[in-house]
Amino acid sequence: MLAAFVRAFRTPDLRKKLLFTLGIIALFRFGSHLPTPGVSYPLVQACLAQSQALGSDQAGFLSLANLFSGGAMLQLSVFALGIMPYITASIIVQLLTVVIPRFEELKKEGQSGQTKMTQYTRYLTIGLAILQSATLVTFARNPSALFGPGCDNILTDQSMITIVIMVLTMTAGTGLIMWLGELVTDRGVGNGMSLLIFISIAANFPGALWQIKENKGWGTFLGIVLMGFFILGAVVFVEQSQRRIPVQYAKRMVGRRMYGGTSTYIPLKVNMANVIPVIFASSLLALPAMIAQFQQGASGGPAWAQWISNNLTRGDHPIYMIIYTALIIFFTFFYVSITFNPTEVADNMKKYGGFIPGIRAGRPTAEYLQYVITRITVPGAIYLAVVSLIPVIAFVMVEANQANFPFGGTSIIILVGVGLETVKQIEAQLEQRHYEGFLR
Amino acid sequence: MDAVRIVLQVLLVISSMVLTLFILLHKGKGGGLSDMFGGGMSTSLGGSSVAERNLDRFTVAIAVIWAVAIVGLGLLARFAS
Repeated sequence: MLAAFVRAFRTPDLRKKLLFTLGIIALFRFGSHLPTPGVSYPLVQACLAQSQALGSDQAGFLSLANLFSGGAMLQLSVFALGIMPYITASIIVQLLTVVIPRFEELKKEGQSGQTKMTQYTRYLTIGLAILQSATLVTFARNPSALFGPGCDNILTDQSMITIVIMVLTMTAGTGLIMWLGELVTDRGVGNGMSLLIFISIAANFPGALWQIKENKGWGTFLGIVLMGFFILGAVVFVEQSQRRIPVQYAKRMVGRRMYGGTSTYIPLKVNMANVIPVIFASSLLALPAMIAQFQQGASGGPAWAQWISNNLTRGDHPIYMIIYTALIIFFTFFYVSITFNPTEVADNMKKYGGFIPGIRAGRPTAEYLQYVITRITVPGAIYLAVVSLIPVIAFVMVEANQANFPFGGTSIIILVGVGLETVKQIEAQLEQRHYEGFLR
Repeated sequence: MDAVRIVLQVLLVISSMVLTLFILLHKGKGGGLSDMFGGGMSTSLGGSSVAERNLDRFTVAIAVIWAVAIVGLGLLARFAS
């Protein structure tokens, strides 16, 4: 294990990539603590400490955003919005491929179409960043909604110019994060965007764990750490599990060469959709809470707004849990159906002379693949729903603050997924080098 | 002191806008959501062009100015009061 690390750093171009990635991460963390001009740093810190002492859970729609920004959001730093606008933009673009024919065409085009869609995502990110930073600054002007009562002012002055500057700075910050992520994808290891999310989530871990120790003592702390390791193991197990459908390729002659004749398999992951359904469901459920928040005046707003804030903003409410679970299961099937197209796979196989033993090529193959993927997604969807409900259960059991609970479902799946992916990439590059040295 | 603050603020506004513009001028790397959360492996081939590399340089320069303006404003706010 350690030898592999040493070897990774001995390899010159891998070392360069790793150091580059670490440098970007350091920059990202630094920016997450740099306060936006106009925000009074001491006042924000005081408010943060106070809201943590109260243990008030932040408004529902902010907790996810705060998780993704690694706590930068509540500090109102220049990177306050974190990677969230980019994620939202990607989700929107991804969903639009189903709705708008032009996007669907682009998707089918392959590499060049993908580049174009990425470009649209980038424009949309900036647009969303402007909107979200304006929203955040509006909240910052009246911070009791963010930090709970007793926190009246966190800005140095309320003038229009300061507000505009804050919005501009945060928008530029979001753009910068996007660029940093792309740089990592380009010149570092792993996928930059997901790595940045990984860093933001992991940055919350030690603090959140320590808080549990402070509040509940060593016993609960150790119990939670043990439980965390158990969940981690279980998640890794499910993430790695896949159904392998055997595929036999027919031999064929092209010129004087012989091709094919091999047998391989199509790996179908149990959890093919990964965390995306969880992210979809959380962001969708955050919408009514946000609308209700705007409606709520001093008097509590109209009846429906009150109903929403009573039933849909608290994670431990039965109605919330039921809707959340249903949404996750729905989105799992939805996402798998848009990413995995059995007909396409069957057609490709037919083109290269491949077939599944015992099943005719063409439509029966597509039907068979559809059958398998549907069956395999059922446990996948249930697994996702269960994992994402873990923090809620833990909340009931140890009464930890669930917004801060470190082994929450979304965060742990993201951590495991991104971690595995990145390590695999590093390993692949390492092997490249190692084999080269072997043969020489 | 006020003059310095206004200069920094103007600098910040301009650099923010230019930074956003420059970043949008870059060609997007990476592909969509499924790529982000462990989808297929996609390695982009080919280095960046000269134009792209120059753009990188400009962007870094603007980003540095942007950061300096923010830090400057932060320091002013701390020591002014």
